[in-house]
Amino acid sequence: MNTPEVHINAVKLAKTVKLTEGSLTILHDISLTINRGETVAIVGASGSGKSTLLSLLAGLDLPSHGEVYLAGRPLHTLSEDERAAVRAADVGFVFQSFLLLPSLTALENITLPAELAGIKDARSRGLALLEQVGLSARADFFPAQLSGGEQQRVAIARAFITRPAVLFADEPSANLDAATGQKIEDLLFTLNAEQGTTLVLVTHNNDLAQRCQRQYRMQAGRFIDSDLKGLANVG
Amino acid sequence: MWASIAWRLFWRELSRGELWVIAFALFLAVGSVVSLSGITEGVKSALMQRSAQFIAADKVLRSSQPFEQRIVDKAEQLQLKTAQQMQFDSMLFAGDNLRLATIKVVSSSYPLRGELVLKRGNVITATEAATLTPGQLFLEARLFDLLGVAVGDEIELGMSRLQVGGVIVNEPDAPLSVFGGAPRVIMHLDDVAATEIVQPGSRIGYRYLFAGSTENLQQFESELTPQLSVHQRWQKMDRESAIGSALQRAERFLLLAGLLGIVLAACAAAVAASRYSQRHTQAVAVIKALGATTAQIRLIYGSHLLLVVLFSLLCGLIAGQVAIGAVQWGIQLYLPDYRAEFSMRPLWLGSLTCMICALLFAARPMWRLAATPAIEVLKRPAAKFTLDTLQWLTGAAAIWALMWLFSGELVLSIGLFLLCAGFAAILMASAAVLVRLAKPMAAGQSSARKLALANLKRRLWANSFQLITFSLAIFLALLLYFLRAELIGQWQRQIPVGAPNQFLVNITESQRSVLDSFAAEHQLELGQYYPVVRGRLTAINDEQLQQEATKDDRSQQRVGVGRELNLTWLSQLPDNNQLLSGSWFSRDAKAQVSVEAEIAERLEVKLGDSLVFSIGGQMVTAKVSSIRKVDWNSLQPNFYMILSPDLLADFPATYINAFYLSAERTALLNQLARLLPTVTVISVDNIIAQVNDIIAQVTIALSFILLIICIAAALVLVAQVQATLEQREQELAILRTLGARYAFLRNALLLEFALLGAMAGGFATLLAEVMLLTVQQRVFELPFSPHYNLWWMGPVLGIVMVTLLGWWQLKRLLRIPGAQLMRKVLQG
Ligand SMILES: Nc1ncnc2c1ncn2[C@@H]1O[C@H](COP(=O)(O)OP(=O)(O)OP(=O)(O)O)[C@@H](O)[C@H]1O
Ligand SMILES: [Mg+2]
Repeated sequence: MNTPEVHINAVKLAKTVKLTEGSLTILHDISLTINRGETVAIVGASGSGKSTLLSLLAGLDLPSHGEVYLAGRPLHTLSEDERAAVRAADVGFVFQSFLLLPSLTALENITLPAELAGIKDARSRGLALLEQVGLSARADFFPAQLSGGEQQRVAIARAFITRPAVLFADEPSANLDAATGQKIEDLLFTLNAEQGTTLVLVTHNNDLAQRCQRQYRMQAGRFIDSDLKGLANVG
Repeated sequence: MWASIAWRLFWRELSRGELWVIAFALFLAVGSVVSLSGITEGVKSALMQRSAQFIAADKVLRSSQPFEQRIVDKAEQLQLKTAQQMQFDSMLFAGDNLRLATIKVVSSSYPLRGELVLKRGNVITATEAATLTPGQLFLEARLFDLLGVAVGDEIELGMSRLQVGGVIVNEPDAPLSVFGGAPRVIMHLDDVAATEIVQPGSRIGYRYLFAGSTENLQQFESELTPQLSVHQRWQKMDRESAIGSALQRAERFLLLAGLLGIVLAACAAAVAASRYSQRHTQAVAVIKALGATTAQIRLIYGSHLLLVVLFSLLCGLIAGQVAIGAVQWGIQLYLPDYRAEFSMRPLWLGSLTCMICALLFAARPMWRLAATPAIEVLKRPAAKFTLDTLQWLTGAAAIWALMWLFSGELVLSIGLFLLCAGFAAILMASAAVLVRLAKPMAAGQSSARKLALANLKRRLWANSFQLITFSLAIFLALLLYFLRAELIGQWQRQIPVGAPNQFLVNITESQRSVLDSFAAEHQLELGQYYPVVRGRLTAINDEQLQQEATKDDRSQQRVGVGRELNLTWLSQLPDNNQLLSGSWFSRDAKAQVSVEAEIAERLEVKLGDSLVFSIGGQMVTAKVSSIRKVDWNSLQPNFYMILSPDLLADFPATYINAFYLSAERTALLNQLARLLPTVTVISVDNIIAQVNDIIAQVTIALSFILLIICIAAALVLVAQVQATLEQREQELAILRTLGARYAFLRNALLLEFALLGAMAGGFATLLAEVMLLTVQQRVFELPFSPHYNLWWMGPVLGIVMVTLLGWWQLKRLLRIPGAQLMRKVLQG
């Protein structure tokens, strides 16, 4: 087996936000390393800082302290637009609240990132992905006409259309019934297996966390007994 | 790739409303600028053309020297039409009768504007048309009696004999102000040499008449003017027009009022653009999170704005041009030979306005939108409408730039701008106070009222901008409505119904009693008899005046008036005269004269100078005791020189009087002419009709502006309500889930808007009253009188307008079933 290639590397990340009075530190001293093709779960209580961490790893936001590297590129030194270019090329993101554009149809939502990245066969890729998430019949529906689970599946298809090297998914199966949730999780792992995508997901669901190769556990903005299961697996 | 995304988003956004509000606001701005400036230009050129008829040309060059071919040639090079005209007084002989007449000699091309109507016959009611041909004379009707001639008889003039061709029915440029002139005669230029009247030194006035396009005329004037001698000067036109200054005021008023409408429209565009940007914050964040750069976002949203701007600009230009066309068509109904001139000015003015509005009002929020960081995806968008400082500054700059562009006057635009800013500040402060007051009011009210008050308070507090724009909109509508009434009223007062329209000139002392009894018999109301004695000003202090400008320009002598003046004596200052300096004759004033300001300036006459008049061969000396300003626009007998009663009482005088005659009784004039053949009747019906036409035209333009202001005001309202739409949807969804019933929600909504409308209407009324009273006293010089109608119209207008528009936009929200609303809110 080849030596695993480091895909995501975070060094002593911290995030502090300014409030009207004083400031609040949401993340303290977070360090992690994720290899290419790995599946990693981040778990923790609500408000522990999972979404915030994900946004830093994906280059949506800048850390207050520390460094974050994606495929060797130092995201913390890049400008907003340079990070946008990185995201367009390499990153897929499934948001906790889906965030589909209400004025675009399901298909158009899916093809949007591909069009932004200038990919030619965006439409055929989009149709194929719709097929894969079982929504071919809903291609021309607007988000408001879709159920929560359907919106979630559109969001996942959208995240995959650029065939990103890494996919961040923020609670992809929350708000869904067990069966649908299961289907969506299967979808994620299938795509991970087919395309070799690095998968970083946030979840409250223990089963889902267990399907990942490693877990990080968060509490009040810090990792606790980090990566125990992962180590156990190795051992 | 961005283009297809942009296009798709644009297409879907069209159904959401804000883009339409921006588009409509810009459309309104462009359309109103184009049509207003086009219409004022149209009305102005109609007036110019109408005035042109009164001088029979577009431009007239007067000279005391014989015609120069080079001037005519030059005009013809510039494609101008030309005509020549001479005028002199001379004796006419017909058998034993002789009479002094004013002879007008014209070339074949006369008149260039207006219509010369000649008839074969001896009364103006004659039907057979005639044209001026060499060898013939046409006479004013009264000359037929005075000379005892008929059509076809011969008359001696100078050395030649000419045949009577008929009667002058209409001479377009007949003098109006020369009360008491000699009877008029028209003859052809080809005959003048044979009369041998034109000799060196004879007193003859020469006129060159020119007509053509405005551009060519301007070029001609600017090229010729430096070459003119002291004997040649351009005839001023403005005095002839009875409403020149009123129209000028109206024009500025139109433009400024239109401008305020545009400012309102621009505010609507700014609000809508802000709202649009705010609603798109999350979409932009998402697109950015998906990898779009700021530049790509700018392209996407910039193209939206560009499409809207282009669309509005095009529609606005077309609509404006259509409105101009309609008004030009309307003018043509009044003025059959009106030539509509196409002008580019309204079009570029409209385009420029559109660009200013789009760039400074709408582009800024869009620019800010593109700068939204991707991380915003993780935040719930704050449903708050804000304008940043730069937006305020650029908006204010844009408003001022528009004001300047329109008024063309720096000081005026700054003044008006500060005034508006002051109003906005006052409104903002009042809104803050009111919101504080509303707090204790909310206690102890029914729950619908409580909800309404609570909503109102929250939103007012969040942005009193809304209240300000509502108030300003209503204020402008009210102000314009009342000013329009005042302006029209002022014009109508200038020419009240029943004001004298027939002037009688040359009434002798003995004819006064005949006239009095004629008037009594036919229930005509005669005015005051103004005595007139004709005299010539011969010297100022001890300096003799030259009666003619001579070839010797180096002569230091002052040039006199050059013709006999109508002198009058009065013991009281006439109504439409205003003393500029000195004082009016005291009861026992001896040998004094009051001089009109313009002629005083021309003759360099000061208070205390003594003027010598030659009256019927006698010399009379009078000291200048006052200088008067005369309102030449008023249709009243006006005099350059008014002498103190002691001086002239002994000279034989003729009198001027006037009365009003309704149109259907004009036949009386013929009776009067038979009864008093030597009295000249001058009818000013033409002028009055002209004034009324123009008042009608300007009134239409004013109403048009009022309409635009109202639409702009409504648009601001629509934009504002739309800005709160999403927030309201959320609230309604929550209230419905909590069990609020339809009637309750409806009442709360109606009450909220009614209160808002009442507040805005109240502020607007207050401001409008202050403004109106100021304008009334400063501009129209009227006594202080409050506008009682305003006090109920303002609040009612506010309540009705705001409630209706609010209800119209929000009623569908109330009807959406709760579950659907919930879903809509939750799923964005
Ligand atoms: N911009 C911000 N300003 C203030 N507080 C913030 C901001 N962003 C996040 N927080 C706070 O930081 C904490 C962590 O937020 P985060 O969204 O990362 O939690 P989470 O672990 O994803 O929670 P959940 O499981 O409920 O999604 C929360 O308490 C949140 O209120
Ligand atoms: Mg979260």
